[in-house]
Amino acid sequence: MKIWGIILVLPCLLWAQPEFYGYFESEADILQLGSERYSFGYNKFRLDVEARPNDNILIGASLNAQQYWGKTNWNIFDFIPNKQDMVMYYYLPDTLLLDNVYMKISFPLIDVTLGRQQISPGVAYAWNPTDIFNHKTLMDPSYEQPGVDVIRLDLPLGDRSTAISIIEPGDDIESSTMQLVLKGGLGSFDFGITVVKQYAPTNETPILGDPYIEERDLVGGSVIGELFGWGVWTEIAHSTLNTTYFPPWSSIAYPLPRDPFTEYILGLDHTFDNSFYLLAEFLHNEDGKKDISDLTLTDYLASLGGGTHSLMQDYAFLYAMHPTFDYVSLSALVIANFNDNSGTFAPQLEWNVFQNTNISLQSSLFWGDDDTEFGLQDWGLRLRVRSDF
Amino acid sequence: MTTRIILFVLLSFSWLVAQAPTGTEIINRVTEIMSPENSYSTGTQTIITSSGKERVFEFESWAAEKGKSTLTRYTKPAAIRGQAFLMLNNADDIWSYFPRTKRVRKLASHAKKQKMQGSDFTYEDMGGGDVFQTKFKSTLLAEETRDGELVWKVELLGITEQDPPYPKIILWARQSDYFPIALDYYDDNGFNSKSLLLSDIQMIEDYPTAMAMVMTDNNERSSTTMRTLEVTYAWEPPEGFFSERNLKK
Repeated sequence: MKIWGIILVLPCLLWAQPEFYGYFESEADILQLGSERYSFGYNKFRLDVEARPNDNILIGASLNAQQYWGKTNWNIFDFIPNKQDMVMYYYLPDTLLLDNVYMKISFPLIDVTLGRQQISPGVAYAWNPTDIFNHKTLMDPSYEQPGVDVIRLDLPLGDRSTAISIIEPGDDIESSTMQLVLKGGLGSFDFGITVVKQYAPTNETPILGDPYIEERDLVGGSVIGELFGWGVWTEIAHSTLNTTYFPPWSSIAYPLPRDPFTEYILGLDHTFDNSFYLLAEFLHNEDGKKDISDLTLTDYLASLGGGTHSLMQDYAFLYAMHPTFDYVSLSALVIANFNDNSGTFAPQLEWNVFQNTNISLQSSLFWGDDDTEFGLQDWGLRLRVRSDF
Repeated sequence: MTTRIILFVLLSFSWLVAQAPTGTEIINRVTEIMSPENSYSTGTQTIITSSGKERVFEFESWAAEKGKSTLTRYTKPAAIRGQAFLMLNNADDIWSYFPRTKRVRKLASHAKKQKMQGSDFTYEDMGGGDVFQTKFKSTLLAEETRDGELVWKVELLGITEQDPPYPKIILWARQSDYFPIALDYYDDNGFNSKSLLLSDIQMIEDYPTAMAMVMTDNNERSSTTMRTLEVTYAWEPPEGFFSERNLKK
């Protein structure tokens, strides 16, 4: 199917005098996990193609070729406290992936984007409670997200107001996911209201290997603007989940009751006169556990697999950056879990060594007891080289 | 005799002052000729750091309502290709678009104090409109000759309540057409932190236009040259042009 997609799309792109761009990225990591030290990394080549056959059409595609090296076979239970005696391997295979392939049609009153495309809902930086499509990596929240197969409609309602509809088609209407967003602005603030109906069949948690269906009704919103010279934002989502479990030994579907929950983010940022930039976010997630003793294997697996925005309830994310030298910036991020008193401190050096080429070195120092979310790990080191073309 | 000389000097000065426009009048004319109703331009931005390292950027820029609304989109280098900034209300409202994440984000107004892609220009420096008129009090300091041109030397003192981008600016404007050819920006300590020189001034569609602008950071010993490659003031913004929809195009 993917090959046919490439065969059909590429000739159209070539006919429309496309622009090619992308990057090569290489990463090397070391992770100290208890008494074990692992080295791993990847080489990634991304090719983006965009063509504009006329003013109203944009055709785009992205190809990812990623080759992993070092440790590629991970035991998921190595990342779950007190479960290291259990084994469930997750293998990272080399991939050649058509990450995005889409066409955007701009009519006078509406934009329609069809195909696999990157969706980035929400205004917050580290977590986005209103985002049901992506799972951000906290150590690098601004990294590009994989494409999602959706139909997107953008209906401008004025210079600062837009109605957005995102539909992820399923086998039928009932099994499709739909997100509606209404965005507007007033003074120095932008507002957003979000309604989601999500249908997510999965073979993952809560019970390994057995299928279940999760339906989510989400109502949320966001506000971003400025107060006393500081950028401020909030993003909130209230979700109701209906989970149905299909055990292999029975033809009867079992509902798995879950309480509705609310997640919210409070954030602020500021650039000082000396170019020092500071960003802080606080996450409260009722879907997470408040006490470490309440955590179950299911909670860990859901968090590691991206099924929830966080393992526990209360977190802080801090990011500080200063362009200290010519094309060299020093930054640091801190992630703190207030419920189990664990966290990480990650200073980073980023050097724009040549035009279009960046080298970054990030170290991670974890704190907390061995049975905590971050305390399980000891330290890490990441070297990343990226060259855009 | 001494009294006569002093009287003569005082009378001459008062005659000169009577003939010369006031600082406010000069700044009103400067604002008028620097703020065409609409514009479209392409240009390059070359940054040279104190250690001699060079980075070159290319961009497209659209402006309307005498610079009150602007949209800037970088076309080169590849690493930032497609990054765009929409500024409304004289850069009081800023939105950024990052094509790598397809994300549009509203920025607080402190972002306008950030350097444009690490250059010596801030986003605020690039904002047009009536900032000199509304956020500064102008006083004519002197008539001078600079680079062979007769110029007005005007002091602009920031009005604190209006949140001026700099506490003080000294501006030199040509007497022939009121076009500014140099500006010195001062920081809170009274230090001349940045200097801007405008050159290669050409008449484009009845507007004098500086085809080259060099901003020097006197602290960091770096400089940025903005060179206009193409410009027209005949561009008319389509309805809804300065919007999030267009920012993402």
